[in-house]
Amino acid sequence: MHDGPGELSVTVEVNGQLIHGRVEPRLTLADWLRDDCLLTGTHLGCEHGVCGSCTVLLDDRAVRSCLLLCAQADRCSVTTVEGLASGPDELSPVQRAFMECHGLQCGFCTPGFVVSVTAFLAANPAPTDDEIAEALSGNLCRCTGYQGIIAAVRRAAEHMAEARGEVS
Amino acid sequence: MKPAPFRLHRPDRVAEAIELLSVYGDEAKVLAGGQSLMPLLALRLARFEELVDLNRIGELSGISFDGEELVIGAMTRQADVEVAPEVRKSAPLLARALRYVGHFQIRNRGTVGGSLAHADPAAELPAVAMVLGAVVDVVGPRGARQVPAEELFAERWTTVLDVDELLVSVRIPVMPAEAGFAVEEVARRHGDFAMAGVACALSSGHGRVDRARIALFGVGRTPLLCPLVAKEMEGSLLDELHPAALDELAALATADLDPPDDVHATGSYRRAVAAHLVGRALINSLEELRRA
Amino acid sequence: MVAGRFVGQSVLRREDPRLVSGHGRYVDDVRVPGMVHAAFVRSHVARARIAALDVAAAERLPGVRAVYTARDLEPLIVGPLGATMYLSAPIPSPVALASGDVRYPGQPVALVLADSRYLAEDACELVRLDYDVATPVMDMETAAESEILVHPERGSNVVSQSRRWDDDLELAIRGAPYVVTRTFRQPRQSHTPMEPHGVVASWDRFDGELRIWCTSQRVHEVRATMGRVTGIPEQRIHVVQRDVGGAFGQKGAMRPEEIAVVLAACKAGVAVKWVEDRHENLVAGGHARSDRIAVTMGLDHEGGIIGAELDHLEDAGAYPSLGSVGGLVAMMFPGAYRMGGVNWSTRAVFTNSCGRAPYRGPWNIESLAREQIMDAAAREMGLDPVELRRRNVIARTDMPFTNASGMTYADIDPAAVLAETLRRFDYPEFLEEQSEQRGGGRRIGVGVSLFVEPTALGTGTMLGTEAAHVKVSLAGKVTVALGTSSHGQSIATTMAQIAADELGVDIEDVSVVDGETDITPIGGGTGGSRSGVIGGGATHRAAGHVRDKVLRVAAELMEAAPEDLETDRGRIQVRGTPTRSVSLAQVAHAAYVDTKLLPAGVEPGLEALVRYSTPAITFANACHICVVEILPSGQVEILRYVVVEDCGAMINPMVVHGQISGGVVQGIGGALYERFCYDEDGNPLTTTFMDYLIPTSTEVPFIEISHLNSPARGPGGYKGVGEGGAIGAVPAVRNAISDALGADVTDGVRPCDLFESTPLAGGSSR
Repeated sequence: MHDGPGELSVTVEVNGQLIHGRVEPRLTLADWLRDDCLLTGTHLGCEHGVCGSCTVLLDDRAVRSCLLLCAQADRCSVTTVEGLASGPDELSPVQRAFMECHGLQCGFCTPGFVVSVTAFLAANPAPTDDEIAEALSGNLCRCTGYQGIIAAVRRAAEHMAEARGEVS
Repeated sequence: MKPAPFRLHRPDRVAEAIELLSVYGDEAKVLAGGQSLMPLLALRLARFEELVDLNRIGELSGISFDGEELVIGAMTRQADVEVAPEVRKSAPLLARALRYVGHFQIRNRGTVGGSLAHADPAAELPAVAMVLGAVVDVVGPRGARQVPAEELFAERWTTVLDVDELLVSVRIPVMPAEAGFAVEEVARRHGDFAMAGVACALSSGHGRVDRARIALFGVGRTPLLCPLVAKEMEGSLLDELHPAALDELAALATADLDPPDDVHATGSYRRAVAAHLVGRALINSLEELRRA
Repeated sequence: MVAGRFVGQSVLRREDPRLVSGHGRYVDDVRVPGMVHAAFVRSHVARARIAALDVAAAERLPGVRAVYTARDLEPLIVGPLGATMYLSAPIPSPVALASGDVRYPGQPVALVLADSRYLAEDACELVRLDYDVATPVMDMETAAESEILVHPERGSNVVSQSRRWDDDLELAIRGAPYVVTRTFRQPRQSHTPMEPHGVVASWDRFDGELRIWCTSQRVHEVRATMGRVTGIPEQRIHVVQRDVGGAFGQKGAMRPEEIAVVLAACKAGVAVKWVEDRHENLVAGGHARSDRIAVTMGLDHEGGIIGAELDHLEDAGAYPSLGSVGGLVAMMFPGAYRMGGVNWSTRAVFTNSCGRAPYRGPWNIESLAREQIMDAAAREMGLDPVELRRRNVIARTDMPFTNASGMTYADIDPAAVLAETLRRFDYPEFLEEQSEQRGGGRRIGVGVSLFVEPTALGTGTMLGTEAAHVKVSLAGKVTVALGTSSHGQSIATTMAQIAADELGVDIEDVSVVDGETDITPIGGGTGGSRSGVIGGGATHRAAGHVRDKVLRVAAELMEAAPEDLETDRGRIQVRGTPTRSVSLAQVAHAAYVDTKLLPAGVEPGLEALVRYSTPAITFANACHICVVEILPSGQVEILRYVVVEDCGAMINPMVVHGQISGGVVQGIGGALYERFCYDEDGNPLTTTFMDYLIPTSTEVPFIEISHLNSPARGPGGYKGVGEGGAIGAVPAVRNAISDALGADVTDGVRPCDLFESTPLAGGSSR
């Protein structure tokens, strides 16, 4: 239980792959994903938990990876924006919807939105407009004015309903 | 914006955590959900030599209900509490208040115990715990003790717990069937800390209010119970609590407030809007109570 | 050719697959072997003499490679650090690291290079920085008269001033039947692109090559700046950027920090990365707005505008990255209205605050002032604000129109835009509803804002031209290399649309290259709503040149006349006889290989580099209507938002909508949420995203957007559209709030300013 001042061992399942590492205690999960795993899709927009650009799934729940220590992800699974699609040349339904609805311009905030929306729609596949607005409010975008993003959430819900065989 | 170095301790049991806190005293800080602590560390506004991470202590998570009391482990995630059926049934105010806490990504990680122990005067949960008559279980090297929520908050970001004590759970008594609740707040944006807020829990019997608890948040150095309002209300006939009477109670609740100005609001606004919110909270909780 | 197969369509963006899947390439994603990380020691105070600066303890920290102060970097500097186009402006050149004194909070004082950013920040804390703190200049109103000087060597806190005053006009205004005077302010704002600043630099001392990866609006400016600052020959400086996470004006010029990092890389001989964090960005990354304008308008009995007087004051901060906007404020003040004349005086002053950087419509206070005083005048006259606008608005039939300040407009039709907006909004029906709801005690108001947006500004500066290099490969595929680049504007898609249509090829057969100084023509980059107009114009013309040559060569190959040919999907065919055709690859083969097939007088090769220069400002025009409700708590809810925009021909309507929506929401932020604050001593108060509030999804309305099209004269008829949303929204929101209150809102508002019992909110007469 007493980890020394030096490095800690971690084993994290990242996008389905087990990754072992030795990390300084203070290293954030976001920095570890970016610098050690070279998964640079997780972006740092504020590093104090407000902007949501660094959102990842930790054991399938959307969390801010800037507010987690890498050591805290030990023995957990992490899904980043790079791990959402079913294959390297695929886009997930949420990713596709963002593209179709112009839900991004500069794209910097986009991974955080895509991950958050993925988790949100998994929990609430047919959200109301108010629920969509509330669910998006934990991610900041400076380019789009949110119009395309809100449309993208609706579109993604449709894509996913179609995929489930439901009539939209 | 990176945290200064620290040692990270990841105990598996409460006893180990207490031992660590005893050894390191002021140099140690408990890391629960981290949603408030991590930004402070990243901004280097706070620094600790030792962090005691509670996330591996399974015994600190979970919700149980024995018919009289809801017991929520300190490390239970806010998101889990928000949707737990027993919470929605026995402490609906808590579930409602959680919707105001940050955003869902924050609640996925943030914990109930962490929010209480952090004692932010603008946070919802401390005020909610107060009006629900919650009691927190505290464990330390000198044994266990219970602290009523209304005695828990000493100062801004400070509880009455000693540095080697750990808040392990919160107990929320079941409210009687005839009860009504409300939580109201005004924030700059959805999910921001409240500029002013109020939590309210009323219960009644035989057409009279028998228990009234109103607590304000965001307007003082701690969440503030309004005992004068409770005193005025308790024993009143429900039928006497007409709008004008409620306005007077709202004025009474906020009469002694003197919140400071900041970039988001003037102190006088906080006070005035608090009165407005108390009025609304009383109306809404009475309405719910009458329906019950 | 098939015209408009792609142009005018909402073609999905080719940028998106990589961006939505986390494969964008931003500056923080760049990793260079041996790279070390930089962090800055910054001033915590607004104004002070540096009494002691001791870096010894920081240098001793394991993992620290170097700690530099001004003394270390200054010897490397041989030229001014400011933006190229403002070198002649009356503003001081920024300093890379403070030397002797500090002049704004957050000013960089020392630079640490270490093995990680974590270690670099640890070392920063070990640098001992002692000051003799002095009283700062924080109030722009008194700065000009203050005995305290932000830049003592300049002898004055006045950056610049201008004045045009006609005494007869003054008499006429003052003697008008209606004279309305108001003073409007807007809070200091931060642009807050989601990606802050950053740079990676690497100096190869053996080859004498400097490589820079940056996040910028203009890569060629980065090269020009670093060539000037370091004296390294420009052709040996290679600047690259891939994706840029927003800028909004803040990345138009290099920040002193970025320059310091490049210098540090040169001095240390290792690759260095620095990425600004959010705290740094908010405190020292460049600020905007923060100005005030006093307006007096005289109107005749019918509401005709006899004239207006302006007094504009602009807080430039300590080191502004642009010259004053006062001139443009004065020139654009008349907006879309006839006015008898305009008297103005403008002044920009230094304060000990973060310097002003251009922000999406940097002159926007002219629209705010004009549209708000129009409403104030209408209220005083008892006239509907819309009716007052109708009586003064100019129309297409007035073009070309020289406004009362002397700016000549072309190709706009504000009267039609106003009418169309009112029609879509259904103004009469709204007024009925409003009076019903007010009867019910609700505080509901409507605000209109009508404005003319000068786009593609900069004729006669580095921003006046842009070039495109279009080349067809042997396989018949097209590459467009551009001097401009995108930080979210979808240039890779929109320019491909233009080139594909001009050349009659599939859009998939066109690649766009930008953001790399070695392989793109010199260009001014994206800013000032210019890339669609000038970059689009250059692409249009360069592709057109290539098309002409393609047709001549194809005509020769098919023994037809060029004018009988059309292009379609990469084939060139005789019009009406698609069986007689050649492919673009066949044409390319003739052009590059089998050159004997070329017609007489046609040079080999199939490419063109065309530089397009705009003859004048291109004017766009829009109208916004906003409906708000002020809740009892003082919070403002936007119930409806309607925009009609005339940005000429649209290359990609989806992208245009995105620009407008994003701008509108930034304007809403400026009206209701965003406010960078200092206390009296100059301590910044809003230094995180917990206190500097930008709108989120729950604060924004659905924005209804539609278009009119008065094409511009340039190639394609395109106008700029980048800034109008942000310009128009502030007055629309403020006018709506003023209407709800029956009292003028003259500054950014918070709920506490609109709470029922506050004096402003209590001023309601309705």
